Amino acid sequence: MYGWIGEILRVDLTSGKVSIEELKFAKKFIGGRGLGVKILYDELEPKIDPLSTENKLIFATGPVTGTRAPTSGRYCVVSKSPLTGTIFDSHSGGFWGPELKFAGYDGIIIEGRMKKPVYIWIADKQVEIRDASDIWGLDTHKTTEKLVKETDPKAKVACIGPAGERQVLISAIINDKHRAAGRGGLGAVMGYKRLKAIVVRGTGKVDIANEEEFDEIYDESMVVIRKHPITDKSLPTLGTAVLVNIVNEYGMYPTRNFQEGVFEDAEGVSGEKITETILVGRRACYACPIGCGRITKTSKKEGEGPEYETLWAFSAQCGVNNLEAVTHANYLCNELGLDTISTGNTIGCAMEMSQKGFLKEKIEFGDAEKLVELVEKIAFKEGVGKELSEGSKRFAEKHGCPELAMQVKGLELPAYDPRGAQGHALAYATSNRGGCHLRAYLIGPELLGTPALVDRTKPEGKADLVRNFQNLFSVIESMILCVFSSFALSPYHYAKFMTAVTGLEYTGKDLMTIGERIWNLERLFNIREGFGRSDDSLPPRFLKTPLPEGGSRERTVFLEKMLEEYYSLRGWDDRGIPLKSKLEELGLSR
Amino acid sequence: MSEVTDLEFDTSITREELAKMIDHTQLNPSAEYKKIERLCEEALKYGFYSVCVNPCHVSRCAKLLKDSDVKISCVVGFPLGATTPEVKAFETRNAIENGAHEIDMVIYIGALRSGDYELVKRDIEGVVEATQGRVVKVIIESGFLKDEEIVKACELAKEAGADFVKTSTGFGPMGALPSHVKLMRKTVGKDMGIKAAGGIRDFRSALRLVKAGANRLGTSASIPIIEGMEWMKFSDSWFIEEIPCKICPSRFASLSKQPSKVFRYYKEKCKTCPDKEYNRFYEK
Repeated sequence: MYGWIGEILRVDLTSGKVSIEELKFAKKFIGGRGLGVKILYDELEPKIDPLSTENKLIFATGPVTGTRAPTSGRYCVVSKSPLTGTIFDSHSGGFWGPELKFAGYDGIIIEGRMKKPVYIWIADKQVEIRDASDIWGLDTHKTTEKLVKETDPKAKVACIGPAGERQVLISAIINDKHRAAGRGGLGAVMGYKRLKAIVVRGTGKVDIANEEEFDEIYDESMVVIRKHPITDKSLPTLGTAVLVNIVNEYGMYPTRNFQEGVFEDAEGVSGEKITETILVGRRACYACPIGCGRITKTSKKEGEGPEYETLWAFSAQCGVNNLEAVTHANYLCNELGLDTISTGNTIGCAMEMSQKGFLKEKIEFGDAEKLVELVEKIAFKEGVGKELSEGSKRFAEKHGCPELAMQVKGLELPAYDPRGAQGHALAYATSNRGGCHLRAYLIGPELLGTPALVDRTKPEGKADLVRNFQNLFSVIESMILCVFSSFALSPYHYAKFMTAVTGLEYTGKDLMTIGERIWNLERLFNIREGFGRSDDSLPPRFLKTPLPEGGSRERTVFLEKMLEEYYSLRGWDDRGIPLKSKLEELGLSR
Repeated sequence: MSEVTDLEFDTSITREELAKMIDHTQLNPSAEYKKIERLCEEALKYGFYSVCVNPCHVSRCAKLLKDSDVKISCVVGFPLGATTPEVKAFETRNAIENGAHEIDMVIYIGALRSGDYELVKRDIEGVVEATQGRVVKVIIESGFLKDEEIVKACELAKEAGADFVKTSTGFGPMGALPSHVKLMRKTVGKDMGIKAAGGIRDFRSALRLVKAGANRLGTSASIPIIEGMEWMKFSDSWFIEEIPCKICPSRFASLSKQPSKVFRYYKEKCKTCPDKEYNRFYEK
């Protein structure tokens, strides 16, 4: 096989059995997210507890992982999420993904549960399950350092921190110390399985079907990436935090738990301010010409970040204007293994609950010290942190104010107020993994003008754009490339990369069909779990309460109108269930 | 036949056809040599009509584009249009000697607004003469002008023997807007070219300006525009109509960038606009 290795590793932690299987479904589901979804749909019984031996955790790469294709240094983790109960894929950059590919695997399926903490050591075709008792309890940085020392200086480590060990529902898997497969609480699944880390060292390479064709499309796409103002200038210069001032100006920068859309102190906690004060360097993932990673240094220590979403989660969302505290909260999340978006969003939710009298404990907006303290408490499940560690939905429900949780399907919303961009609102509501901005990044066309600027205030036509972006992003995350590449590249480039790497003919249209297939299979998985139309929604605030000021004031979301059109375009019935004809068309009917 | 509205798009056009209408532009004063070199490489690769550069880069481009179909457009009197006719003529001759095929000159805007049409015309004629038959595009900087002044500027350019009228420099108060292009097309007729330039950043705005009557586009976002057209294959929703105010010159009127008379002129228009019901924006 070209592109793909053709082999999947299966590790049963209950029995300790390690086996190698032939890769299936590659042509129809590509790899990464698509592959993981297909395996879980086939292998998981419906309604299993995500934190039980029945759940599986899949680490997957894609056919372009480990090639020179720009932004191809990614991997994804797919499982049933303990936070949302949906199918879930969480992605991360860095160097771990390519290393797994070089070791000779397209993915790893982790099953069962160990009696004592372990880590998996993969050195090319040598696979060992090793005792991790002495590293259980360590943070992700110390874990990484110790495991590299214990195995190979060039080894790459993906691990959990204390949060994952305690099965915190918003815990992350951290690789290369600072990169996170953050969302959906998949760190908790790893923690439940008592799997502290997967350490990989690979010395192989990825075979490309047509090197000449690959070089051509590589050159072609680099011209486009270098010419696009976002990939050539904004992201490399200011990192993702370039968005702070832009989104704030649009009045869509969620402030104090989405009660407002303009943060008065945004400038002090922006990409520009990071560059002026704490930035000490840039870091790029494997094969990435963009290099959006920020190496920063506060008065206390050095680390990576904060990125845009993290910056928002710990500043505007919590009303905090102290960049040092925000950065420190970010460092802590990386070290303790927490999802920064869900952590900050949940703390902001608690702050509003406290403001409105739903909490006995005083947690005030703007309290930077409390913010940092709560991050630690969440990771260690201490005090109020124990309840917060279950995410905003469960926390707000428990205290009688579910409407104050800013989430969709249990996943905390990220840093764009949906009232300011109708398409993005629909993308949130219909996301298969809950409140996520990256299932379909409509901020591109609605705010940033990529690939073209459309009227963000109008619901017309948005259903079709959301559908198209969802389909394409499903493919990008299956190949796997970074979705940032889509600022510059189009379906044409992705198809050319797929063809050159795998030797199989793909057109842009073929990829969009595969994306649609993946999206529909995810939908089927969720329907099997009991999700339906009522879950394709947004917190009532966005539908009823207009933003009070700023560039998006007086706006609410026209969800029902868009949702109906969306279901119809998707070929689903009015309950949101794919029609038989659609499943047949996509080769998904049984 | 009904009149084209400002909101319509020409969706029949292909990537290749659009590329052949684009002057691939780099007019940033801070552009290093390597940016100019890259500009030429890109123009060759994508088949853009020309590269559009400042005079100091013309000879470099001429070397890089030797024996190719890609033309070199050079700006003159740029971006203020405030040099004398003699200087513009000299700058033109110099650009031609260095290898320019087309000249994008800025008119004497203050003279036009003062009603000194003879001087405006003479200014253009001087450049036309200096090009010795090569293409001349006359930048009228529409953002500084009322509608009747746009009409007058176009008439003078036509009378002076220019080949194109061009909306803007990209450094002025407004970019290219469909209503201005339509007015310019109506004024100059079918036989003269219209170049829309300034603020054209995506395929939607490009295709809208073509529909309005432009047959040449000046943009530095040429590659995102051409690549973005790939998305058109998958959805017609890119062309869903939007609120007319978003592309209206009155919306872009700015007291800090325009003379107060011109600013007031555009803002007054809103009161009698048939689409005034949409004029309720405070957001970007």
